[in-house]
Amino acid sequence: MPEVPGLQSAPSCWTTVCQDRVAHILLAVGPDLYLLDHAACSAVIPPGLAPGVSSFLQMAVSFTYRHLALFTDTGYIWMGTASLKEKLCEFNCNIRAPPKQMVWCSRPRSKERAVVVGWERRLMVVGDAPEGIQFVLDEDSYLVPELDGVRIFSRSTHEFLHEVPVASEEIFKIASMAPGALLLEAQKEYEKESQKADEYLREIQELGQLPQAVQQCIEAAGHEHWPDMQKSLLRAASFGKCFLDRFPPDSFVRMCQDLRVLNAIRDYHIGIPLTYSQYKQLTIQVLLDRLVLRRLYPLAIQICEYLRLPEVQGVSRILAHWACYKVQQKDVSDEDVARAINQKLGDTPGVSYSDIAARAYGCGRTELAIKLLEYEPRSGEQVPLLLKMKRSKLALSKAIESGDTDLVFTVLLHLKNELNRGDFFMTLRNQPMALSLYRQFCKHQELETLKDLYNQDDNHQELGSFHIRASYAAEERIEGRVAALQTAADAFYKAKNEFAAKATEDQMRLLRLQRRLEDELGGRFLDLSLHDTVTTLILSGQNKRAEQLARDFRIPDKRLWWLKLTALADLEDWEELEKFSKSKKSPIGYLPFVEICMKQHNKYEAKKYASRVGPEQKVKALLLVGDVAQAADVAIEHRSEAEMSLVLSHCTGATDGATADKIQRARAQAQKK
Amino acid sequence: MATHLSYGRVNLNVLREAVRRELREFLDKCAGSKAIVWDEYLTGPFGLIAQYSLLKEHEVEKMFTLKGSRLPAADVKNIIFVVRPRLELMDIISENVLSEDRRGPARDFHILFVPRRSLLCEQRLKDLGVLGSFIHREEYSLDLIPFDGDLLSMESEGAFKECYLESDQTSLYHAAKGLMTLQALYGTIPQIFGKGECARQVANMMIRMKREFTGSQNSIFPVFDNLLLLDRNVDLLTPLATQLTYEGLIDEIYGIQNSYVKLPPEKFAPKKQGDGGKDLPTEAKKLQLNSAEELYAEIRDKNFNAVGSVLSKKAKVISAAFEERHNAKTVGEIKQFVSQLPHMQAARGSLANHTSIAELIKDVTTSEDFFDKLTVEQEFMSGIDTDKVNSYIEDCIAQKHPLIKVLRLVCLQSVCNSGLKQKVLDYYKREILQTYGYEHILTLHNLEKTGLLKPQTGGRNTYPTIRKTLRLWMDDVNEQNPTDISYVYSGYAPLSVRLAQLLSRPGWRSIEEVLRILPGPHFEERQPLPTGLQKKRQPGENRVTLIFFLGGVTFAEIAALRFLSQLEDGGTEYVIATTKLINGASWIESLMEKPF
Repeated sequence: MPEVPGLQSAPSCWTTVCQDRVAHILLAVGPDLYLLDHAACSAVIPPGLAPGVSSFLQMAVSFTYRHLALFTDTGYIWMGTASLKEKLCEFNCNIRAPPKQMVWCSRPRSKERAVVVGWERRLMVVGDAPEGIQFVLDEDSYLVPELDGVRIFSRSTHEFLHEVPVASEEIFKIASMAPGALLLEAQKEYEKESQKADEYLREIQELGQLPQAVQQCIEAAGHEHWPDMQKSLLRAASFGKCFLDRFPPDSFVRMCQDLRVLNAIRDYHIGIPLTYSQYKQLTIQVLLDRLVLRRLYPLAIQICEYLRLPEVQGVSRILAHWACYKVQQKDVSDEDVARAINQKLGDTPGVSYSDIAARAYGCGRTELAIKLLEYEPRSGEQVPLLLKMKRSKLALSKAIESGDTDLVFTVLLHLKNELNRGDFFMTLRNQPMALSLYRQFCKHQELETLKDLYNQDDNHQELGSFHIRASYAAEERIEGRVAALQTAADAFYKAKNEFAAKATEDQMRLLRLQRRLEDELGGRFLDLSLHDTVTTLILSGQNKRAEQLARDFRIPDKRLWWLKLTALADLEDWEELEKFSKSKKSPIGYLPFVEICMKQHNKYEAKKYASRVGPEQKVKALLLVGDVAQAADVAIEHRSEAEMSLVLSHCTGATDGATADKIQRARAQAQKK
Repeated sequence: MATHLSYGRVNLNVLREAVRRELREFLDKCAGSKAIVWDEYLTGPFGLIAQYSLLKEHEVEKMFTLKGSRLPAADVKNIIFVVRPRLELMDIISENVLSEDRRGPARDFHILFVPRRSLLCEQRLKDLGVLGSFIHREEYSLDLIPFDGDLLSMESEGAFKECYLESDQTSLYHAAKGLMTLQALYGTIPQIFGKGECARQVANMMIRMKREFTGSQNSIFPVFDNLLLLDRNVDLLTPLATQLTYEGLIDEIYGIQNSYVKLPPEKFAPKKQGDGGKDLPTEAKKLQLNSAEELYAEIRDKNFNAVGSVLSKKAKVISAAFEERHNAKTVGEIKQFVSQLPHMQAARGSLANHTSIAELIKDVTTSEDFFDKLTVEQEFMSGIDTDKVNSYIEDCIAQKHPLIKVLRLVCLQSVCNSGLKQKVLDYYKREILQTYGYEHILTLHNLEKTGLLKPQTGGRNTYPTIRKTLRLWMDDVNEQNPTDISYVYSGYAPLSVRLAQLLSRPGWRSIEEVLRILPGPHFEERQPLPTGLQKKRQPGENRVTLIFFLGGVTFAEIAALRFLSQLEDGGTEYVIATTKLINGASWIESLMEKPF
């Protein structure tokens, strides 16, 4: 804070003011006023301040921080804006004694501005008027400025001083002819069964002011503290409403509800004497919070139910608060508390049992927390708290129940850190769903652990697969790969999967052989399939080795023929192919020979084999080599309708006209028969 | 608006709008310009929810694919990572964040997890020391993505593998969550039926989740009458067979990804005179396939053999419509003709596209090999020679046809024979290992674990009983004007759809015996509704059944269900949901393991 010039002792008075959303300090040193912020100190002079001031005795900022009042040693009061830019009015009370307190007394949106100044036994309300109002105080009192007035406390009394609201003034002013006043009168006469009621009513109606009258009565009722007066005003409003066609009922209904709530909290057992404006400013939510803080749970719940607040904002919230309080009652046993809470809360929507449990845990009542969590339907809430309370195993079963795998994972990783490996594995063993999830995790993150898991379960089949994967992924050198495969084969034997074991051994044999081939012949053999290895050998002219390999691995004859056929055609080694085709009777027939030659566009070779194709596929073969005429002959010979139409579909108009006719004739003949 | 989503009984646009809103809300939380870093897998599904224009409206200026090391330069205030909750992705993200240039302007990082936030991943980020770098870490519960007016998919690639091979129920949990979202929008589904282990689990989770939400009473009038949960492993057969509907064949041959297909461009070259065809487009032709296209909606579910006649009829109608212009004499008539032009031109474009696609498919379906393969499949499905080594399969192996094709056939034979004789099984396995390489032993193990390939146990083949009771094989199939769902496979009626059909009429009680043979429990649950929401069905009003395939569904099955929906006396309309749209090839591929 900067230095204030001339400040030797405490300032005679000071206050905080707010300008442009920044807090400043206004303080008085003798006849001078200074405005302080964190960096600067500047002297200010209130505009229009009467001369002769030698010191300021009191200053007051209004509830809204908009206005400022200064009380000087001359008994003069300056009232203006808090910015010190404008004077509103001034007043001279001629009392030089320093007042005990000075506060603003105003109502929101009211044009009247007034300040209440309090001395030992005297109270004076001053404003923009030549005279102030004086009150005598019987006791020492204390003033509290509020939103719409000033509360005055003494040892035995509690009073509220405020500007009379417009509606009340209109109605209750002596000899008022305002519509509201007339309506109230009319209603009173009506109750007395006097015809004057009608006269009053007519008077309002003639001016067309009935709606205003009703509105005034409703409004005025809000500002009344005595239920009897509230009632008579509301009755008047209701009476007036009867003569109106389309008066929206909600303002009346809402006022009735609000007054009921206000009267309930103003009751001396509760002791919250809020005014209507204050209640509206606070909102019902804040009021409920205050009731909850005072542990007035039943009243809060009744208010919620009466106002039909949604359960989540209303009853459930209060019950949850109640439960949180309940768990702190250490003298009641865990069982009783849990039961009491569940009885009251049941399945009330919006109640979070986990919040209550968290509170119980916070108070050191872990057992109670666990009992409460049993009632929590949302596992997402249940599980983290259980983990926090170190009930991981319970958390695990809850997580599994929920089906939320992410939750299960979270617990698992927690358990993994918490337990030693053996215990962790044992826990997993009893939870198959968790186990399979953890396996997936390990597959991507911790391969070694995966192996341990399989080992623990004696799952040899999976161990076998595991080592096979390893033989491809983890090992570079051929020896390492073969060793991994050997481990895999052993595992498969243990798993009684003879097929897989044998196949693995075959692969080991193949790998070693491929390695040898690479050494001896060059080129790439490793990781080719057996089939491709043989093909590669044939393609590189190693027919003998190919034969040997096929024999060693017992490649079935049919596939070997396909293989050789394909390889030789690829080489376009037609001589060798022909030799091969004559080596013995083809187990796959000769149509594939025709097809493959045609694929290489060698019609000449294809024709050689076409003649050897068996009768069933003869037509197809002949068509392939383009011998439509002969195909037709064979088809006719076979008397096969299907074959004949196949040939027909191959006849092109120009060249095969004769053939087509021939088939048509044969067909016709067949049909005759 | 995506109009194709709202033509059905259930307006799925409501769901689409809901997820779009959620996305917008998240984007608006990160004030200022943004760049999105995508988990590549998500871009396809996201495309169905929000085009770039929506992102742009919310100040997304750049988009990148998630990859290691440093992020590309971008002058934006926010970097948003949109990722699946996977540990390996967390590692990449942290690499991105840590290599961020400190001297450059400070940028805010955010993570959007799809479809669920994961504690596991956040723990990983924490361990890597970057968790604190993220301002918003949220989840975007995009579980079920609307594909068409009656079709929802989670597009979760590994769902089948996770559920049936790895016993990982993550995708089931997401499915249950997705169903809860659906119920929040379309009302509580009063009746749940199910068959299979996974179906049971999903139903259990749903019931449990309902308890968690007791707070908010669902006051929406239920749109769905039933939910039918079906495990894919109840019907392993159907996806193995080659689909023969138009859409099914497009998928079999070219693969439909997130409702888009990429086709060889040659057939789609613009035919201009004097162009000499010198610059043929080299980039694949990309087409979106959904019912927004009138013609496609009409032919997608037809047997392919019935597509040609529709196309030629359409061609006549359209050219007749263009001829109309000669009859337009008055100005009014000409005006009317012109106003119809855009629609007619669109129709002509669509016709040209589908004629080209049909030609492409025809080249395949008329090939000898396709015919041979189909013959073998149909023999198996009708129960002929399923217990011995098939010579066509043998030849395929010997000629090294694609492994997936071979596996598909072997699995089909195994399923149609309730498992193969040990000798036959070992023979096939040995042939496959010797021909394609020994490493495929891992794939074979996977197929055996899921039951696709297995030795016959107990020596009894139960498939004939199932086939006869459920009438899975129909000899008199009418491909042009079908009378039964078997038209989608030209003879074979998909088992899964038959189960759905029998459930709606006369009820599963009539097939208890078969249900006992099929794997997993069958069950029924009721979710009570408050009296105000109970439906009084008008006479003749169809029920709406949501059928959820856990582990994938094929286009042919969808076609069959649509056929049932359209039956006049069917009584039930179907909305289809699944974990993934699959075909035999993509399905088998998801189970394959490639160690190198």
